[in-house]
This record gives sequence, C-alpha cells and structure tokens, in this order.
Amino acid sequence: MIALNVRRTGVVALRVIRQLKRDRRTIGLITFAPIVLMTLFGYALSGEMSGVTLGMVDGGGHDLLRSYLEGIKDFEIVYLGSESDAELLISDGRLNGAVVMKPGEVRVLLDATSLQISGAILARAEAGAQQEAASREKDQGNLIVTRYIFGYDLEMMDTVGPAILGLVVFFFTFINAAISFVRERSQGTLEKFMVSPLSRVEIVSGYVLGFSFFTLLQSATTLLVVTHGFGVPMRGSPLTALAVVLLLGAGALVLGSFFSNFARSEFQVVQFIPLIITPQIVLCGVWWPLQSIPEFIRPISYLLPLTYASDALRAVMLKGASIPDILFPDLLALGIFFLVFFAAATLMLRREVD
Amino acid sequence: MASRGRDPVVSARGLVKDFGRLRALDQLTVDIPRGATYGLVGPNGSGKTTFIRAIVGLLKLDKGELNVLSRPVSRVQEIYSRIGYMTQHKALYPDLTLQENLEFFAGLYGIDKQERERRISELLEMVNLAEHRQRLAGTLSGGMYQRLSLACTLIHEPELLLLDEPTVGVDPRLRQTFWDYFERLTSEGKTVIITTHLMDEAEKCRIVGYMRAGRMTAAGSPEEIKRHAGLKPYLQLWLRDPKKDASLLRARGYEVDMAKGAAARIRLESHDQIKDVLDAVSPLDMRLKEPTLEEAFLKLSEGA
Ligand SMILES: Nc1ncnc2c1ncn2[C@@H]1O[C@H](COP(=O)(O)OP(=O)(O)OP(=O)(O)O)[C@@H](O)[C@H]1O
Ligand SMILES: [Mg+2]
Repeated sequence: MIALNVRRTGVVALRVIRQLKRDRRTIGLITFAPIVLMTLFGYALSGEMSGVTLGMVDGGGHDLLRSYLEGIKDFEIVYLGSESDAELLISDGRLNGAVVMKPGEVRVLLDATSLQISGAILARAEAGAQQEAASREKDQGNLIVTRYIFGYDLEMMDTVGPAILGLVVFFFTFINAAISFVRERSQGTLEKFMVSPLSRVEIVSGYVLGFSFFTLLQSATTLLVVTHGFGVPMRGSPLTALAVVLLLGAGALVLGSFFSNFARSEFQVVQFIPLIITPQIVLCGVWWPLQSIPEFIRPISYLLPLTYASDALRAVMLKGASIPDILFPDLLALGIFFLVFFAAATLMLRREVD
Repeated sequence: MASRGRDPVVSARGLVKDFGRLRALDQLTVDIPRGATYGLVGPNGSGKTTFIRAIVGLLKLDKGELNVLSRPVSRVQEIYSRIGYMTQHKALYPDLTLQENLEFFAGLYGIDKQERERRISELLEMVNLAEHRQRLAGTLSGGMYQRLSLACTLIHEPELLLLDEPTVGVDPRLRQTFWDYFERLTSEGKTVIITTHLMDEAEKCRIVGYMRAGRMTAAGSPEEIKRHAGLKPYLQLWLRDPKKDASLLRARGYEVDMAKGAAARIRLESHDQIKDVLDAVSPLDMRLKEPTLEEAFLKLSEGA
C-alpha cells in the first residue's frame, strides 16, 4: 500500500497542472496577489523604522532604572526573557539595543552598525543608572557593562518581504489544495480512485508534485518583486530560498488535504482561513518578534510552519545563509510538519467511505 | 484453479450492512456468473448502490461473506485493474477536455500511449462523442457527460464492470448502442453488473435481480421471473353493450373486471382463449396485454 508508482504519481501531477493551468483566475491571483500585497505593505510600512526599539530583560534590582527608561518618549520597550533573545533580535536588526538588568549589574547591548542610536541608548542608560545609584542610602554604584553586537540596519520591508512570500504561498496552496480535495470527493472522482490501482500515497504525492510547479512559478515572481521592486537584498542563493518555499508549499498542501476532510463544500473551506491562516500571520514572528510574544502562547508559534519558513527566508535573503545554516531548526521543522500531515492526509483518504 | 472459469464472478452470502439504525443490506445472498449481464433493479433506497460499493471494497460489511473474482473482498485491491466501476454521480473532471479525462484514467492503469490512443478513439466512437474530443467535459450536456463517464470506466478493458445507472439521461438510440456494446463485452467473457430503473433495459439482461429493502427478493432470467410470478396475459375489451356482454362472458367462465373505466379486463389462461372470447362478443376495440417484468416484480415482492 505504501508502494509508490512514479508513473501513476506523474499522471496525477500532470492532471493537477492541467487543471490549474486552465484556471485563469487562480493563475492571475497567484501571480498578482503577492505583488499587490507587497505594494500595499511597501507603502504602509515605507521608510525606516521610527523611534528606538529597546529590548529589556529585567532580572530584578533596578526598578528605578526601569521606570526611568520606560518614561522616555522616544523609546519603545520590548520585554524579553533572556540576554540571548536580545542578542538575536539585535543581530536581526529588530532591536536597536537592549538593557539587561541584574542585581548590581546593568549590561547594555548595543548595535555596532548604528553608532548614533547606540550612543543615545548608552547615554540614557547611564543617566538612569546614576539617578538610581544616587537615591540609594549607601552610595552604591552600578556596574555598567557594555557589549557591542553587529546588527543590521533594516527597513521594515526587509523583515516583512520574506515573510509575505511565505505567507502568500502558504495561503494559496492551502486553500487550493483543500478545495481540490473537496471537489474530488463531491464529484465522485475520489471514489473512483479508490477502485483503481492508484494508492493513497500516490494521490497525495501527485498533488504535491503538481502544486510544486505552481509554487515555483509563484515564488519566482514574488522573489523578483521583493528583490527588484522593493530592494530587499538577496544575499543568499535564490535557489535556497526556493527550496524553503517549496517545502513550505508542500506542507501547506498536505495540511489542506487533511483539512478538506472537515469541509463539505468549497464555502466551508474558506471558513478555515481564520483558524489556519490568521494565527500564522500573527504568531510567525514577523510583526511581533517571537521573543516578545507572551511565553504561554509562544509554543503555538513554534508549531506553525510559517514561523520557520519566514525565519529561514530572512536568514537566506538578509544574511546569506545557505542550506546547512538553516537546516536546524527551520528546514527540519518544515520537513517534520510536512511528513506528519502527509501521513495524516493519506490516512484520511480512507478506502471505506461510509 | 481449473474450475476458476466457472466460479461465480461475485458470490455473496448473507451480507449485512447497517448505516446507523438503517439496514441497507439485509442477509443478501446472490451468485453472479461470469459472462453475464446482470441487472440489479429495485426501488430507490433498496440497496443497489450499497451492494455495488460493497463489491468494490468501498464498504465495510457488518456480516456475511463476499468473494469477487474468486478472492475475498478484503483483498479486492489486488485486482482493481480488472474491475471497472462507474459511480452513480459521474466521476469526471469538468475542467479537463474529453481527451484529457480519458488520458488521465488510462494513465492510472499504466496503459501505454499507442494503445491508449487506440482505445480512446474506439470508445469515443462508441459513445458517439468523437467530434467533441477537445471540448471541456463541463460543457457537455447531461447525457453526453454520462457517456463520457462510461467511456472512462471502460478505458482499461476491465473483465468485471459495475455500472451504477449508466444510462440515465442517455437517448434511446445511444442506449441501444450501449447495450450492443455490453453484449459484445459479455461475449468476450466479461461480466457486466448494471443497475437500472428501466424495465426495457432489465428485459435485456441475462439475469435480473430484484432488490427490496436490502434483500434479493427475486432473481433469474426475465422469462423465469415472469413465469415464477405466475402472471397471465389479459385482454382489454371495449364492449358495445357492457352489461349484456359482460354477463355473456361470465357465462363462459371468464372473470370480468369492469373496474377500470370504459374497458373490461379479462385474464387469459392461454392465448387460445382469444378466439373463444370473440365468439361470445364482438367488442368495439380490444388490446392484448402481456405481463411485464415490472408487474412480475411487484407481484413477487408482495409476498416478500
Ligand atoms: N453512506 C451512507 N450513509 C447512510 N445511509 C446510507 C449511505 N449510503 C446509503 N445509505 C442508505 O442505504 C439505503 C440504500 O441506499 P442505496 O444507495 O444502496 O439505494 P439504491 O438502491 O442504490 O437507490 P437508488 O435507486 O435511489 O439509487 C438508503 O436508505 C440510503 O439512504
Ligand atoms: Mg443507487
């Protein structure tokens, strides 16, 4: 039953491609939707990130310094759990700096690539620490340690662009796959497959293959728009980026196939959007850094494929990462997600459909 | 193995299938011999489709023993390439052309290109859709869609065909073509199991099984079934003087039924009695009615 006949799989893939190719509206949507979205976000988020975003890790003992920093109008404070989280965000260019407070010690992490902002942050932190020290009974000083980290001077589009690519591919593939499977069921073709040599694994694999073709098309156009239209850098290999997107698309396909079992019509498929798509947008770490998402929700972020895909894409595009760099955890997580839902989708295509 | 050729193609013993509280198959027992056209008839919801889906392994039976092509139905997957199944909703891709639909189903059975083209041409000819080859299936009329679905089911030349209402919406001339084709298939030793609501089609089957409430209440050749039901032909007579003529006929021992409007009805023991009736009266008009298969089924299922 697990036997996979390459030829039969190819026959299914070819059919899927033929059907999608004929569906002009879908073709239009998959090529233009990303462009429209990019443009929209591009304008909405244009320009440099304004203000100074400062990470804060509060290990206790500096309530005064904390409220001093919180009181500064230009500073937007992001609360973090650990110094390493702060480091990560600074090197990603999403924080301008961070203050890590421990009893008796204040560590100030600064972005070496923007000295002006770093200087401002350091000056404020020192001023706050001095005030705090002055208010103490025994004039006990604060030990201030500074560390410089190489950050990245980022525009909003640079962070968001790679994620939009992942999001668009995920959305399109999920919805189209779910609808296709709902149709296979309602038009009786699935029942016909069941009474043919075609195995369930071949059905799902054929779909993965057929849709990958369109994922490639879609990612290629989107990548062109992101890099050429919006000037997001492509420091790594575009092929690596495509590989990430293909893996994400395959995951979206099997997820769609799995969820098609819970929809009786195309209309019901659309109702999955709030459940499946929205959380990924909110929790994938693009709009709000993962490190700043409350800890009790964070596990959900780590279950969502888009989290890993956008992380990997950012690494490839902005930092020039290659496959070995993103293997763990990103590609591994995407691979596991795909395999789990591939198995689930296959098992749901039961032969006995009563 | 020598006897395999004579084994029934489908052999069912005491099949039971419940959908919740509804018993769709109720101790169904039947043998379907190789090379037959076997007609499954019966009212809506009598379990015809359920039986067919059980044969192709799409249903888990609650009870009973079912063998298909000499294999227990639990292993029917092994021989799917020898089975052709046409579902009651016509399983096709409306957004593919006729050619593409046929190519796709041929591909599932690993038929090579040359052979595939030959069969596609032959089948499109048979279902009279050759000139529509490049049209999208979704633009076909209802009956045409049906015909394409049949062609897709036949593409891999299966030896056991299960056709669930294949002729719904097909015009009479093409229906005749279908039945000629089925005849050809059975003469090659293939078996065609077909459900229908049309009695003239049932008459064409070598064996007809009548289902009711999940049971096979009667099965046999159309002639056997009529004989078994014990139905006699009757005469319909438009009498000149109904009262007087009726009493004349009664005097000769006929049972005259005047209930149905202007015409009187007389059951005949044999066709010879027509002459005797005409000796007694000279009606304005008359008609001889042979018993139909439908009447036979109704009669038989009254007792069931
Ligand atoms: N999947 C199912 N779930 C629940 N009930 C079902 C299911 N399939 C069939 N039934 C019921 O089983 C009974 C037999 O249905 P079946 O489709 O076999 O009838 P049929 O003889 O093919 O009727 P028709 O002539 O209308 O096609 C019906 O009462 C039907 O409602
Ligand atoms: Mg039916």
